[in-house]
Amino acid sequence: MSSGSEPGYYNRPVLKEPVWIWAVPAYFVVGGAAGAAAALGAAAEIADRESFGGLIKTCRRIAATGLVVGSALLIYDLGRPGRFFNMLRVFRPTSPLNVGSWLLAAATPCAALSAVSEGSIGQLAGLSAGALGLPITGYTAVLLANTAVPVWQEMGAALPASFVASAAVSAASLLEMTELSEEEAIAVRVFAVTSKCCESIAATVVERRARAVPEVGRALDSPRAKGLLSLARISVGVAAVMSLVSGKSRAGRRAAGLLGTIGAAAHKFGVFYAGEASARDPQATFAQRS
Amino acid sequence: MAKGFFTDTTVCIGCKACEVACKQWNQLPDDGLIFTGMSYDNTVELSATTWRHVEFIERPVALSGQETGLGQFSWLLMSDVCKHCQRAGCLEACPTGAIVRTEFDSVYVQPDICNGCGYCVVGCPFGVIDRNEEDGRAWKCTLCYDRLQDGMEPACAKACPTDSIVFGELDDLKQQAHDRVETLHERGMTEAYLYGVDEASQPGTEGLNAFFLLVDEPEVYNLPPDPVVPTKKVGRAWSSMAAACLALAAGAVASVVAGRSR
Repeated sequence: MSSGSEPGYYNRPVLKEPVWIWAVPAYFVVGGAAGAAAALGAAAEIADRESFGGLIKTCRRIAATGLVVGSALLIYDLGRPGRFFNMLRVFRPTSPLNVGSWLLAAATPCAALSAVSEGSIGQLAGLSAGALGLPITGYTAVLLANTAVPVWQEMGAALPASFVASAAVSAASLLEMTELSEEEAIAVRVFAVTSKCCESIAATVVERRARAVPEVGRALDSPRAKGLLSLARISVGVAAVMSLVSGKSRAGRRAAGLLGTIGAAAHKFGVFYAGEASARDPQATFAQRS
Repeated sequence: MAKGFFTDTTVCIGCKACEVACKQWNQLPDDGLIFTGMSYDNTVELSATTWRHVEFIERPVALSGQETGLGQFSWLLMSDVCKHCQRAGCLEACPTGAIVRTEFDSVYVQPDICNGCGYCVVGCPFGVIDRNEEDGRAWKCTLCYDRLQDGMEPACAKACPTDSIVFGELDDLKQQAHDRVETLHERGMTEAYLYGVDEASQPGTEGLNAFFLLVDEPEVYNLPPDPVVPTKKVGRAWSSMAAACLALAAGAVASVVAGRSR
């Protein structure tokens, strides 16, 4: 071993940094929001189509917009965008990216159809989008955990819970910023408070998991990750309280929605940038548990 | 038949003929003339356009069984390359099927299929494969797939003047490598060992088709001490995702029911 205090080769990274640009974490946010909105819309469809008509319509619109924009973001990030359809050339369950591409390819048309049609066709499309939307909220976390990047791998099984919760926060927060009937407002508030509390807990567990190995956990203290994850923690926490106490105040509900939207996005961007820092750090790779 | 490389770092002289031969045969562009200050290593790393990389390690430690005028010093030289893992992270991550296992048991990226999603880049526990930002696709060592199909050995192995890079059938290579370690141990170089020769020595990758004879810790060569293909660890993440999705569905139903009951 060399005489230097830390092992390694001129402190060069062992791993390659992710080549992904901002569009990928941005997809995690809008795709997640769309998936959770589709699920909530489908739930309202099943529970009581009559009293939740407006909410269902809004959910369908969020789902369709999010999935279309999300797919566009993913295609934009490709090195060869013209070859995006190669994603559907094979079915490869070992690749969460491949599984996700199939989910997206199935869910996007369903969500789009549900947004533009009514009656039983719209209903069937909405229910399908809801069922497909559920895994779309979480597979992106499995996609990150299934890499050699130490901090993502260490977050492992905790990460999907936080991504699913974060997706629910995004959807709930967007809905909080829309016009809602009295019944819908109650349903959205229950959904918002629950998801914001779950996200606060899940994010804490994720961070604790990552810090189990100090050399791996220090990626969370890299400037961008630290700032974003702190912003996420504070925003989601405050937004949870605001959703709870806003009552009939429309302004309060909108503020809770805005903060929740920011917090949910900051969490996913923070996790993403922590991964970049972690890939750069050879000591994290050497210390990683097998 | 499974083919691969046995790279014996103890006979590498750091001539970089492998790097040059690889660049020439595969028509890879140069990476610019830079001066890193990292000993004689101005290549820096394996990349989309560099598929062999010679490392220059200056150690303030003597090799056991050797006496030199340098005292407490030794050079470690190593020509790094894609490991063509038995369980390859890049291949299992590739969503398009662009990355395949060939008839030579090597791992090959089909450039006409790759759409540059970049998932293989983070799937490799050795940091080998990378995306070429000029043409948007992922590239790495092909084990000279084209030369192999014509019955020739890869360009790097052909050019290596000391046979530090040995190409051949995997079973023969393993035998040769074990014999070499035995010889070195007999000569007093007891630190010599094989990195990634089989599943027993590296369960995380189930063995490397391009393995190495090293004389110091893997970290000194910038190799991960315990590389694991990511898919081996990810099962629990899938299960926890499923549980979280069910919880989301339940939460959504409960929320609308709560709203209606007023």
